[in-house]
Order: sequence, then structure tokens, then C-alpha cells
Amino acid sequence: MPSGETTTQNDTPLADPAEIRRAMEYYADRGWTDGLPVVPVTESYLAEFLATTSRDPDEVLMPMPQLNRQCTVRLAAINAALAGCRPDYFPVVLAAWESLTREEYATRGIWQSTTGTAPLLIVNGPVRKRIGLNSQGNVFGSGFRANATIGRAIRLGAINALGLRPHQLDQATQGTPAKYTACIAENEEESPWPPLHAQFGLDPSDSAVTAMIIRSCIHIEARHTTVPEQLALDITGTISRTGALIHETISALVVLSPEHARLFSRAGWGQADLSEFIYTRAVHSRAELAAVGKDAIARQTRWRLPADHPDAVPDQAQASGTPDVVRVLNSAGAVLVVVAGANNAGVSAVIETFGPRGGPPAVVRVADPDMKQSERSGNTT
Amino acid sequence: MADGILLERAGVPAVSICTGSFLLPAQAMARAYGFGGFEFATVPHPIASLDSQQIEARARDVLPEVLRILGLES
Repeated sequence: MPSGETTTQNDTPLADPAEIRRAMEYYADRGWTDGLPVVPVTESYLAEFLATTSRDPDEVLMPMPQLNRQCTVRLAAINAALAGCRPDYFPVVLAAWESLTREEYATRGIWQSTTGTAPLLIVNGPVRKRIGLNSQGNVFGSGFRANATIGRAIRLGAINALGLRPHQLDQATQGTPAKYTACIAENEEESPWPPLHAQFGLDPSDSAVTAMIIRSCIHIEARHTTVPEQLALDITGTISRTGALIHETISALVVLSPEHARLFSRAGWGQADLSEFIYTRAVHSRAELAAVGKDAIARQTRWRLPADHPDAVPDQAQASGTPDVVRVLNSAGAVLVVVAGANNAGVSAVIETFGPRGGPPAVVRVADPDMKQSERSGNTT
Repeated sequence: MADGILLERAGVPAVSICTGSFLLPAQAMARAYGFGGFEFATVPHPIASLDSQQIEARARDVLPEVLRILGLES
């Protein structure tokens, strides 16, 4: 280590460790944490966050009328600060809340559900570099402050602003590790394709957050083939698993490593080609679904259940010309494709997203901190 | 739980029923609606996987408690 980087006791800030511990315990005792220590927030520190946006601190970002709660700009800022965000991350946190509100599953009550989902944030554009968001190695893992704390800012907001505490209004049966934090940046530099926000109408030079409610993140290790159809079928098999097929159809986000993305790209495939392939091949036979008791759907909820259940009605495939071929997805649009991770192995992931989808995701532009105040409003697509 | 509270506030007698597994979330929901003392009935968990005869048995078992909360003689 060069001598200039050596850390000595003289570099440590002047603070009474007992006072720091007392502040941490105060927050924990109040139930204002996710179980990990939080950063104490003062009015002056809060002001630094609010200074990064022209939005009214009292503006409601996410209403939650069924809980008599709401998340405002001020509450989002407090929880971003608690989570350990730097003030310059806050425009990304704001876009994340806005995306989650537009995405709608959270406000419909899914965060209270036994299902136990988590929000996943995907960040695109120049803001990734500006604030140090990781899009490469260990992209779903730890080690990067911006990823770790922006995702956590949403969780702490859900706990503190919306009152969604486990064993109380958060009724998750098991939850997911992603509930601590889940924020990735797309690896646009090593992707052969347009970034997610550009797929949905924004300029690549814009920065954007796209939030999705996710059930789980499934690892696919596929170093065995260079045939795009084989790799695509391997991914399709993971998406199609019957354990995920709760509703009549489901949806997924495929997060390809650059190596896998380039395998497809070299063969002339774009993201839409991969989505279309998965849509057409993600099928079960009627007998496969009958074997797991999912060969019909419930009259009201449209959840899958056995055909001999008193609430059972036929699924859409049953009424089609090919009743024995049951599609897992309602359209090619139910599969989104992004690129993230290191360009060092054939490792990708399938994110099981909530809902049948097929429509465009909630891509929200991040207000540019360099813009004039008057230009910052109206920052949604 | 919210529906039960809103119905009561609209003047419609109502009793919310949940399984025992949802006791704490139900109490939290009642507090969220400013009605921490809202009385509700619980039945044993689970419900979703029961057949129709088992569901009817659950309903029979909980009926006296529902009537008590409504202020009626069982």
C-alpha cells in the first residue's frame, strides 16, 4: 500500500464511540431499522438530501390508503439517510419510489402479502457511473455502497413510512433475502444490446430506474454450450418451473451475463428474439400440470388448482385449439432481458417477477442534478 | 380486518374472521385504522387447503364467537 493511503488512528473522526452506540441503540429500540444499524439523521443532514430535488418535501410519492400511510419526499429522504445513502443518491431513490408506485403491485397490497416479495431496482444511464453503482462482478452481491443503500432505502421506507414491519403488517411467510436490498445497474458497456430504458423509449443518455416486484432470483450456470437454442431452452426450463406457476401465467426478468448475451448476439439474436423464443417454448403438457395439481384455475382468483377442485374452471389453453399445450407466459413481453454481471463466465439469473405482465415496465427517468430547478419537474416517461 | 372496521363505521354490524396465524397482523391492521380494540374472531390455521366439509366445520365452530361479538345470544 502506498504510504499516502495508510490509515492511522489520526485519520479517525473525533466522536465519542459511546454516543455513536447510544444513537444506534435508540434507532434499534424504536424499531426503525431492518435489523442492521442505521445512520443517525439530523435536520441538517436531511436538508442535504432534500437539496438534491426541487420537489416539495410533502409531495406524496407512494400512497398506501389501505394502511392509512403514505411515503412522502421527506420520509423517503429520511429513510435514504438512515439507509446510508449519500445525498447525491437521492434522485435515484426518488425515481425508484415513483417507479414502484407506477408499477402498482406495492400499492395494491403485495407488500403485506404472505407471498413475501421484494422490490428490485434496475438502474440505467450515466447516473450509474456518477454515484458508483455496480453493474459488473457480484452485481447481486455485497460490496458497493450505492447498490446496497439505495435498495435498503426502499426497505426502510416500507418499514418506517408505510408501517410494513414483519410479524405485523408485513405478513410474509418466508420473505426473501432481497428484502434487505436489491438494486442493480445494467452493464450497458458490455451489453451487445440497447439498455433497458432505451428499449422503452428513453434516450440512452438519460438515467432511469425500473422497479419490479420479485419473488426470487434463480441462478443459472451454463458454461456447457455455445448453441443459442440450447442456452435459451436451459433458461426457459427455469422460468417454466411449476413451483413458480401460481397464477394462470407468470412473468420473468432474464439477467444475462455479458458472456451469455454475446453468445446470443453473435448468433444474430436480439433481446426480443430471446423473449419470443422463451414465450413460445415455455409450455407444459396438460398431464405435467395435472401431476402437480395445477391443471385448472380458480373461478375468482385465477390461481392454478386441480381440475377436480370445486372452484375450478378451465384455463385459457383448455379452450384453445391445443388444450394439452399450456403456455406459462401470456406474451413475449412477459419476459424482459437485461445484461449485468462480470464478463467472466456463463452465469446468468432468472428473476421471477410478480404478476402476468406483458405491458411495458415502469421506467422512470432520474432527474439530473445538473439541470436547472425549473427543468426537473415532470421526470416520468 | 379493514373491511370489518369500515363496515362497522358505516353502521353495518360486522365480524372479521382470520386464522390464528394472522392474529398479530390483524391487530396491527386494527391499530392502523385507529381501532386497536376492534374485536374479531379467529379460527385454526389453515383454511385455504381445507375441503368443503372441513370449511363448514370451521364455520360451525366459530359461529358462537361471531354471535357473541355481534352481541347476540348464541
